[in-house]
Amino acid sequence: MKLLVILVNRLAWLIPTVFGLMAITFAITHIIPADPVAAVIGENASPEQVAALKEKLGLDKPLVEQFVIYLTGLLRGDFGISLYTQRPISEDLFARVPATIELSVVTLFVAIAAGIPVGVISAVHRNSLLDHALRIFTVSGLAIASFWLAILFQLFFSMYLGWTPLQGRVDGWGPDPITGFFIVDALIIGDFEMLGDVLAHMVLPVLTMAYPAMATIVRFTRAGVLEAISSNFVMYESAMGFPRRVIIWKYVLRSALIGTVTQIGLIFGILIANSVVVETVFDWPGIGRYAVDSILNSDYNGVMGFAVFTGVIFILINALVDILHGLIDPRETR
Amino acid sequence: METIRFILRKFFEDKVALVGLVIITALVLVAIFAGVLATHPGDVSTFHPADRLQGPSLAHFFGTDRMGSDIFSRILFGARITITIAVISVGLSVLIGVPIGLLAGYYNGWFSDLLMRVSDIFLAVPQIVLAIAIAQTLGPAIENVILALSLTYWPFWTRLVYAETRACKNETFVEASVALGASPFRVIVLHILPNISSGIIVRTTLGMGSTILTAAVLGFLGLGPPAPSPEWGRTIAESRQYLPNAWWYATFPGLAIFMVVMGFNLLGDGLRDILDPRIRRSKSNDR
Amino acid sequence: MFTIYSLKHTQVAKPSDTNREYEMMKDDVMRLRAQANRVATGCLRAGRALVLGLVMLGSATGTALADRAVIAIGNAFDNLDPHQVFDVGRVASRLNLYDGLLRWEDNPPVLEPWLAESYEISEDGKTYTFTLREGAIFHDGTPITAEDVAWSMDRILGINKGAASLFVDVIEPGSTRALDARTVQFNLSKPSAIFLATVPEIHVVNMDLVKEHIVDDDWGQAWLSGHEAGSGSYALKRYDPAIGFQGERFAEHFIPWGEKYLDEVEFRYVMELNSRILGLIAGDFQVTDAYMPYDQIKRLEESGTVDINEQESMRIFYGVIHNNRAPMNDINFRKAINYAFDYDSFINDINSGSVARDPLPMPGNIWGAPSDVEGYSYDIEKAKEYMAKVEEPVRELTIGTITGYSTTEEAAALLQAGLAELGVPSKIVSDPFTVLNARSMDEQNTYDIYFTWKSTYYADPHNWVGELYSSSTIGSRNNSYYSNPDVDKLLDRALISTSMEERRGLYEDAARMVVDDAAGLFIYNTKWFGPTSKDLKGQRFSPIGNGLEARWMYRE
Repeated sequence: MKLLVILVNRLAWLIPTVFGLMAITFAITHIIPADPVAAVIGENASPEQVAALKEKLGLDKPLVEQFVIYLTGLLRGDFGISLYTQRPISEDLFARVPATIELSVVTLFVAIAAGIPVGVISAVHRNSLLDHALRIFTVSGLAIASFWLAILFQLFFSMYLGWTPLQGRVDGWGPDPITGFFIVDALIIGDFEMLGDVLAHMVLPVLTMAYPAMATIVRFTRAGVLEAISSNFVMYESAMGFPRRVIIWKYVLRSALIGTVTQIGLIFGILIANSVVVETVFDWPGIGRYAVDSILNSDYNGVMGFAVFTGVIFILINALVDILHGLIDPRETR
Repeated sequence: METIRFILRKFFEDKVALVGLVIITALVLVAIFAGVLATHPGDVSTFHPADRLQGPSLAHFFGTDRMGSDIFSRILFGARITITIAVISVGLSVLIGVPIGLLAGYYNGWFSDLLMRVSDIFLAVPQIVLAIAIAQTLGPAIENVILALSLTYWPFWTRLVYAETRACKNETFVEASVALGASPFRVIVLHILPNISSGIIVRTTLGMGSTILTAAVLGFLGLGPPAPSPEWGRTIAESRQYLPNAWWYATFPGLAIFMVVMGFNLLGDGLRDILDPRIRRSKSNDR
Repeated sequence: MFTIYSLKHTQVAKPSDTNREYEMMKDDVMRLRAQANRVATGCLRAGRALVLGLVMLGSATGTALADRAVIAIGNAFDNLDPHQVFDVGRVASRLNLYDGLLRWEDNPPVLEPWLAESYEISEDGKTYTFTLREGAIFHDGTPITAEDVAWSMDRILGINKGAASLFVDVIEPGSTRALDARTVQFNLSKPSAIFLATVPEIHVVNMDLVKEHIVDDDWGQAWLSGHEAGSGSYALKRYDPAIGFQGERFAEHFIPWGEKYLDEVEFRYVMELNSRILGLIAGDFQVTDAYMPYDQIKRLEESGTVDINEQESMRIFYGVIHNNRAPMNDINFRKAINYAFDYDSFINDINSGSVARDPLPMPGNIWGAPSDVEGYSYDIEKAKEYMAKVEEPVRELTIGTITGYSTTEEAAALLQAGLAELGVPSKIVSDPFTVLNARSMDEQNTYDIYFTWKSTYYADPHNWVGELYSSSTIGSRNNSYYSNPDVDKLLDRALISTSMEERRGLYEDAARMVVDDAAGLFIYNTKWFGPTSKDLKGQRFSPIGNGLEARWMYRE
């Protein structure tokens, strides 16, 4: 019952939050007295051309009316027309979403697969030399600028050693889109050469993005495990003579996992933030680079579309994590 | 007095925090004395195109950039920009966020709810996304970076202070002073604020690190101060078209960012261990 | 050069301890192993060193490889509509997928008959009648008629983007008429000496096909931005705005094909310069655009697998000075600025001599450019002399640069250093190209000085000095807010004169006056270093197409 309340409460909050987000992005991009149309129409445009395009895009209407138009558009999944490419933003965004999701999911997987064991090891051998080394490693992950790490990786692995592709998602066009996720698509059509190429292109961006995400996971896992080890329950178990190894992997890990799940929202935030720069450096055709392209072309609509889009995804994921957490850890609901 | 001495002793015992403090002190000194420490102090605004893209040497510790300027000197001057951005924008967001959090936490009512909902909306999106949107509309300049960072960071403080104020409000000593007829202002400033200040201090230190990283991202994306500013993020962006030959061009500014952020993170972690009673407790459990 | 991706075999689940489970898993494991091996093989095959060997050894693409080329460009092809985009960066889709009546070819550029086999100009210079080639067809097989041409002209004016600005002043919508299937007549509202030079920008679209896709009177813009309805040398085969487009040779194209050609051409958006360079060296790309620092050109040259084709292009780099704002409205101050810029360091050190000093408001290599103008040089003493004559108080100047274009930043930094020697403080600001452009159209808002390029939209001196310094274009293309009645007289005359010799003299005089007035800070004309792989031949360069017209290319 309590779970249901959380669920309803959580979902009910989605609407005002999303509405507020739209209002904020709209305010950001419309309060400043810039002239986005003149900015975009081109070098040889005449003032008449500017005025005509402005009228067509509805930018000559009062702000409130523009906001209403913008909102109703968003509700239909319409983010407006890109000022630069002149194409619907939703089309561009949706075309690029699979690239970002694929990168984020693989990164998340790598970060969790590396982060949890490291966190557990670090906690089990706390204050040992190994623990200190691992902690320095993870603390560094949170202090490094990901665009710099990406460039260093490129410099070393691609330019000097020639081991990995410098950038891009695949050499050329990739598999015909079935799901849009290249790994999945390459598997479906059974093209393993393509799969290898896709994976090779993922190595550097995934490593760059996984490092700070992993650092976060290690910190939470370590703290979670330490707390669990010192809990009365585990002390009791060890007093009963259960092998330490079993206790750690069976009981302690469980709580560590719960800790990680609750942090997925946070980690996902890190991933999105990093996707903007990592996708730029690696020329990864996802929504992060779309945002940067929009910035460079001062495509206000594009930037706004990106902010709303990622915002909504982020809000949804956080709501989902909350609900999931309620399911996994019933204590919360009590 | 006892507590302060205790904290100081703990602090000097904590090597990690000490390392962080040393790094940050060095950064501040470097920023202040950049003009003295720099080997080529004029190279922020004068150029020597004939010496462009030279590798590291005794004349140029970190090599030269595309204008023939000394990268070492420019990094020192870049520290000023970094510190300015970080201090002002974190300062502003604390100044905005903390009072709002205190008020919303102390009073119950629709206005408190509204304030918290607004800050929730900001927190619903990764900071960098909104900061990019704001910085992009305002145009690339150091003031705009500060504005973009402050406008997107204050809700973080509101949320933190709100939660702690709520918890603190029900403590006996607060309830007692309210019962004794103390004004709300007095209660908030004299009783609640000191009790939640350690959390604020820890978060401020950690926040400096993350703000420096975000500011560097804005600089890297071309949304920071324009050329020929020695801002670290933009220096790295500049370097890309001269890679792989001019490896030093990208490497050293990134190292500077790393060191500084590391400094704040270590100090913040150390301070948390010392100041935050909850962690202190779990740390003693740890032993 | 050996480059092998270092992907290890993917990890296979370890058999569990219990025998039963192991038996059950064995088959799976074997299958996974086999797959893993194939993945690994895939990785290796993707490795560049092995591509040569393996692909040649019997892969089906082995033969096609020779007749195909990948051209890597730093600009996204995010809109294929030839009437919506008009910038030089996205010229490749227009040139290869579409045709105009005439086309600029070679360097110096020559106007060649293209879809039109001939044309006539009336005595009064207002009626242009073109005769189309016989048997010219679109990619879908339907004939190209005069009606398609007329409709394309109306479409350009109707959507009023891109190249429309070239025509709005002289052509009324609906005034272009198809006299018969092969004769189209343009009726200008006033004579224009540059009309012919702009005709190549009237790209002909397949009227019937586009009309099928019109939504809300949008002239089919939404559809044509992602599809193609042309007749060009290559037909669109595949398109993804994030990647680029592939074109398949259109064998029935109205211009007979030569003996050697590419069957397929791919224009790929590769944002990162280093990727374009490494890809070219490794043979993944056969051509890249030439926008790169000279250091990188040298790196390509040293690789041994790349040819560099050098030409002096027509794209000037200059500082736009606001002539109608104090203190720049004082000619002495403008001259002081012109003497305070270190041209030599900029051209020979920062740009490694990869550009040509050009003191004129037009490329030095176009007709109509006076050859006797020396222009200004870096001379602080002279600059101080002029500075002393300036009566307005000195204030801080704002210098604009284009985000991401390092040349503008470097020029701004050098100018800032020079101005500092004169005691003139300045600050540098940066805007994305489009924002800077928009700002420049606003007399109050534009920067005191900003750096930019002016490319060839049509190869006529009017493209530069005429558009940039005539009073009639103030606020649109004249962003210097420079107005000189004597210059206007020359330019107006040049715009209606039908005598090339007369026009030449007029532009030469206009250019001299603009330089004497120090109306801008004229710095260089671009040299084009077109990098191609050694086995790609036939690249034909013109300043309009930038060497990206694929129909002349072939591989050996």
